Amino acid sequence: MNDLRAGAAVALAIAGKDARAELRGRQIAGSTLFFATLVLLLFGFALGPDARRLAEAAPGLLWLAIVFGSLLTVARLHQLEAEDGALEELARYPVGRHAIYLGKLLAGFAAILVLGGVLLPVVGILYGIDLAPAWLALAATLTLGAIGLAAVGTFYAGVTVRMQAREVMLPLLMLPVIAPLLLATVKATTAALAGNPLGDLAAWLQLLLVFDVVMVVAGATTYGHLLEE
Amino acid sequence: MENLGFIVAAYGVILGGVALYTGLLLRRLSAARRASLQIRREAESAAPPAPDRPA
Amino acid sequence: MGTRVLGIVALVAVVAASLNALFLVPADVNQGDAQRIMYVHVPSAWLGYLSFGVTALAGIGYLWKRDLRLDAIAVAGAEIGVMFTAFAIWGGMMWGKPVWGVFWQWEDPRLTTTALLLALYLGYLLFRRLTDDPHRRAARAAVVGIVAAVDIPIVHFSVEWWRGLHQGPTFGSPDKLLHPAAPALFVVALVGMVVAFTLAWAWLMIRRYQLARIEWQIEEHGRLGRISAARRAARTPVAPTDGAAERV
Repeated sequence: MNDLRAGAAVALAIAGKDARAELRGRQIAGSTLFFATLVLLLFGFALGPDARRLAEAAPGLLWLAIVFGSLLTVARLHQLEAEDGALEELARYPVGRHAIYLGKLLAGFAAILVLGGVLLPVVGILYGIDLAPAWLALAATLTLGAIGLAAVGTFYAGVTVRMQAREVMLPLLMLPVIAPLLLATVKATTAALAGNPLGDLAAWLQLLLVFDVVMVVAGATTYGHLLEE
Repeated sequence: MENLGFIVAAYGVILGGVALYTGLLLRRLSAARRASLQIRREAESAAPPAPDRPA
Repeated sequence: MGTRVLGIVALVAVVAASLNALFLVPADVNQGDAQRIMYVHVPSAWLGYLSFGVTALAGIGYLWKRDLRLDAIAVAGAEIGVMFTAFAIWGGMMWGKPVWGVFWQWEDPRLTTTALLLALYLGYLLFRRLTDDPHRRAARAAVVGIVAAVDIPIVHFSVEWWRGLHQGPTFGSPDKLLHPAAPALFVVALVGMVVAFTLAWAWLMIRRYQLARIEWQIEEHGRLGRISAARRAARTPVAPTDGAAERV
């Protein structure tokens, strides 16, 4: 039991440290937000001006923007350690490697959650959608989606952190894996915004939950091997 | 045979592709074996004679 | 020796089964001759997935035993798997155009899942190229392979769901051949092709594995050569200090 508590303490410590670094380096976190907003704007140019088409496409565009933003976020969170060789230092501590993974996951989750939370009203404004009636379902979708993105993203960021072509390898490895997450979040968002006419919202959220659990477990168990080098 | 074009395209690419890969694989394999043999010969001829160590 | 026999048997089997699929088996009532494409598409898809399973399992094995031979199996599976997966997609498209009228159909769970499988494979292979150290490469690849393998069933399941919820017109399904009520001749032809292809796959895997091991040895030699060359350069040009034989 002590191990579990020690592990949790470490995870929280890492998450806290990353979160503080994020807040301090506000510019970088802010620029990710800016980037995602720009993506949404460009989508508007690409698919507009037909308001109805944009409104129909809105869930997909929202989540694409969140996914792209997540790529930058998780890469950045690993960059912090990589530059000082701190990851190797962390790996030497006897605490479970899972704790390191979970700590980074937590930080990534928080960052992506914030990203999505800001982008939702932006989408509401740009694509003319009323979010208020569906806010609870949207919050649930965002939370589950953020967990999945953080889980997969943290894992692949750890995998590619010291590689040469990491800027392209991270998206290249990560994007195919999150295809089902993208599908589920967009479907859930669409259903939520439409008032759940087909009654499939719960099903998509369940799929998201399964995805999250599987990926967190897979990531936590294999992350340790990455640090063992 | 109807849709002959698609059938030919499918079988041609797939069976032909496997045949092509097989050929390339065999070529790579024999090249690797030759290289490996070469290395072993070099290692044997380059190995220094027994050292004259003090007993 | 045994491998050579396997190769010959596989070759004969593939030729025989293909001739059967192309000329002897009757055409389908609904899909016509286009259905013959299924006889190459299904085995390719099967082998694509099988190879990936092998790669993932070999990766787990490597992480457990740290034996580079397992990594050789993994890379063999990946290379051969990417080929069969690409063929499966190609076959699916060639079948789709005459039967569906389109080359691509988003809601077909097999086609979309296989496309993602291809993407995962290519990522895996590319990823391997960017690491030089054999053990580090093997460990990283294993980890990437495991997560990718875990993703595949989720992808398949989610696309099936996707299709189920969309009330689209019924379209001809490649599943037809696997349906329990399918005519015996079709089933026999398909099974024959699957067996023949799998024999060929086994032979290819063995040869690719052999190649991987030899290439690794060559790689090792190259690395050791550089290391001993560096050591030589670092030593003084005068007689070696301890008189020990130089071992590579």
